[in-house]
Amino acid sequence: MKFDDLDVESEIENTWCPGCGNFGLLNSVKQAVKKLEDEGIGRDIMLISAGIGCHGKIFDYLNIGGLYSIHGRESATIQGMKFANPELKVMAFGGDGDAYGEGLSHLIFAAKRNADITMIVHNNGNYALTTGQKSPTSVQGFKGPSSPEGSVNEPINPLRVLLSSDAGFVARGYPGKMQHLTDLIVEAVKHEGFSLVDVLQPCVTFNDTYEKYNELVEVLEKPAETRKEAVELAEEEERLPIGILYKEEMPVYNEKVYPEGNPVEDRMDREERLEAVKKILDEKR
Amino acid sequence: MKDKDVFTYLIGGKAGEGVKKAGAAATSLFLDLGREAFQMDDYQSLIRGGHNFSVVSTSTREIYSHHMEVDLIVNLDERSRDIHEGHLAEDGLMFYNSDDSGEKDDGIGLPLGDMAKEYSKPDLIKGVAGVAVLAACNGMDQKDLKELIEKEYSRGVEENLSFGVEVYEEVDKKIDKTFELEEGKSESTVLTGNESLSLGAAAGGLDMYIGYPMTPASSILHLFAGHKDKLQVLPIHPENEIGVANMAVGATVPGARVMVGTSGGGLALMEETVSLAGMTEAPVLFVLASRPGPSTGVPTYTEQADLNFALNQGHGEFPLIVASPGSVKEAFFLSNEMLELVWKYQTPGIFLTEKHLSESAKTLDIDLDSLDDDPLETKMAAEDEEYKRYEKTEDGISPLKFPPAEDLIQWNSYEHDEMGYTTENAETVEEMHDKRREKNETLILELKEMNTVNEFNEGDTVIFTFGSTTMSVREALKFADVDAKIVQPVYLNPFPVWELEEYMGEDAVVVEQNSTGQLATLLREKCRIKPKTVIRKYDGRAFEPRELAAKIEEAIK
Repeated sequence: MKFDDLDVESEIENTWCPGCGNFGLLNSVKQAVKKLEDEGIGRDIMLISAGIGCHGKIFDYLNIGGLYSIHGRESATIQGMKFANPELKVMAFGGDGDAYGEGLSHLIFAAKRNADITMIVHNNGNYALTTGQKSPTSVQGFKGPSSPEGSVNEPINPLRVLLSSDAGFVARGYPGKMQHLTDLIVEAVKHEGFSLVDVLQPCVTFNDTYEKYNELVEVLEKPAETRKEAVELAEEEERLPIGILYKEEMPVYNEKVYPEGNPVEDRMDREERLEAVKKILDEKR
Repeated sequence: MKDKDVFTYLIGGKAGEGVKKAGAAATSLFLDLGREAFQMDDYQSLIRGGHNFSVVSTSTREIYSHHMEVDLIVNLDERSRDIHEGHLAEDGLMFYNSDDSGEKDDGIGLPLGDMAKEYSKPDLIKGVAGVAVLAACNGMDQKDLKELIEKEYSRGVEENLSFGVEVYEEVDKKIDKTFELEEGKSESTVLTGNESLSLGAAAGGLDMYIGYPMTPASSILHLFAGHKDKLQVLPIHPENEIGVANMAVGATVPGARVMVGTSGGGLALMEETVSLAGMTEAPVLFVLASRPGPSTGVPTYTEQADLNFALNQGHGEFPLIVASPGSVKEAFFLSNEMLELVWKYQTPGIFLTEKHLSESAKTLDIDLDSLDDDPLETKMAAEDEEYKRYEKTEDGISPLKFPPAEDLIQWNSYEHDEMGYTTENAETVEEMHDKRREKNETLILELKEMNTVNEFNEGDTVIFTFGSTTMSVREALKFADVDAKIVQPVYLNPFPVWELEEYMGEDAVVVEQNSTGQLATLLREKCRIKPKTVIRKYDGRAFEPRELAAKIEEAIK
């Protein structure tokens, strides 16, 4: 099917719970993709990946090419796509269980190497698809089937973790502020280098945070000047600042490692390859 | 000595004394004489101290294994003398470091400690003594020794030359005979198995190699990192094996030909992704370089206990190609071939090998012209047709298309429909299982036209073996008084039953390096071959050819 005949949103039946924060997120992504298309970043050069969980269904709901990955590995999968062809624009979707639990190491090192990827995390503070167990971002005392007496873990603050991992673009969004979230996603994709958009996603069934977020969420006017100040913003609990907390331009991985090359576009032909192999064989004589 | 079929040289010492380098220099010397050689490095999982040795066997004929009946031994420390004294052949010469061992009755003492301490790297430089002793004992003149040192020890060459000549003169004074190895006619290259398989894949159009260090696979990563510009294969070393495997699957979506490499523990971490590759139909070639397990096991030694592990990779049902080379040379052509196969069939492949093949070096001649210049074709979608990633076809193989593209290209880990959307529909679930199974049937038809089983020698008794042990068996049969034919299945999954049927019911001998006889079981289950004797070894060391010869004789007679 050609993109010309396909809306950004697919016709697949949507099975998120009515009122799920994911609807707002999906809408923001749709709007963001349309904006990006208008700016010349079309779906022809765009790839996505997703982990496993309620969030992952977005892979089916979007008509964008890519690979629907496995739990926690979406950030590794998407880096493979980007490294294979740096011309492509890539976005990975993960849940808080995927991105901040099962696959946290991939995310930290994606930031550390400054892979030019955008990671959008549907952070709903629980494992919803598996019926509401505690997740890395669940608050202390969170009760779920695996923690009936309340979670004793101190939750992960993903923004602080990624800021300490030298991420060059760290943002937080809220589906209740859809236009704002749309703009964040557009900025994240356009940012050259690693970008994280942590999305405060209420889960109406297992962790309904609408009221809390509506009260605490506050749009930031501008990003922090320094990484240290950004960490302070990330640590605020009295209010939840949304927007770009921190942004810094840094050399991206593929430009550091292979500035000129593109593994799938600039291939040697068979003769050149054999010549290269022959040279090495001759050195071994 | 001149007519001796096999001449074996061994140097032993502590890690950090240049033992492995000395082995490589000896191999280079034999190569310069036009001889064939096989070099095996025995080292421990440590950086300093312990005991390492490098053993090189050479012959004017092709040689498939090192031997442990040694004609010339150079011991850089007392522990080495202790361990290797018993390996000395009749008429052999043994040198030892008299500064470490004191004066001994057996062997020729050299004050290597005193001599080396005058140099800036007194430990590392000791290895040069190994080459100097070999040159002197082989009756080479100083000029030849200097040339060899300049070639092999270019870093700090002045000191190496001076020390080498000093040792040479000392040895010259103390020996009353030389070996004078006959020159051969070989114009070989020398490669390790890992080098061979890497270059084979590069020749086949590899775009990326992704790996996380793990012995004995690490040197593949080092090769691609060291030759990035020459080979134009992008090397990546990510955070862990799970990252490795998933990056690899991702890289196939835009069409990169990618290979990953690891050992058993690493593949265990990757296994979820092998299954992902099966479901998404991602062509990834996994190199499994085995070592003795279970768990951390004996990291720097060899074993063939991961055959079942390789064959049973991944949950769920999907086509999986598993093959294992029986020689360093075959590693080159097999990685090349497997890369083509995984792409044609869009499914994961496992290139199974062991430390003994991965890290041993052998003289060989690779004829690049013998590579098929008409490689297996990857089925690509026509430009103007409506694209479906998992389109049902007669042979089960869906055409590929890579972005940038105007079409929606969706790969999916969930069961999916032809477009790649997730499905739980009973009919579609069944159809997609059928599609992947049909792909496997097409693959089997393809394999039936290919060389999937190697046979060596002629004889009434059949000896089955696989992987690196093939080399041990081939060398052993030079010393066994038996008429036996070696049968080595190269492809292990799909198992080439069609080639092996003729041996059904045969009283065969099986030789393999594990404790439970995994190949024997496979032969019994798949082909109803009844192994009469299973010769096993599982002490981490490769078979010694003459010892194996004795076991084969005992089994057959």
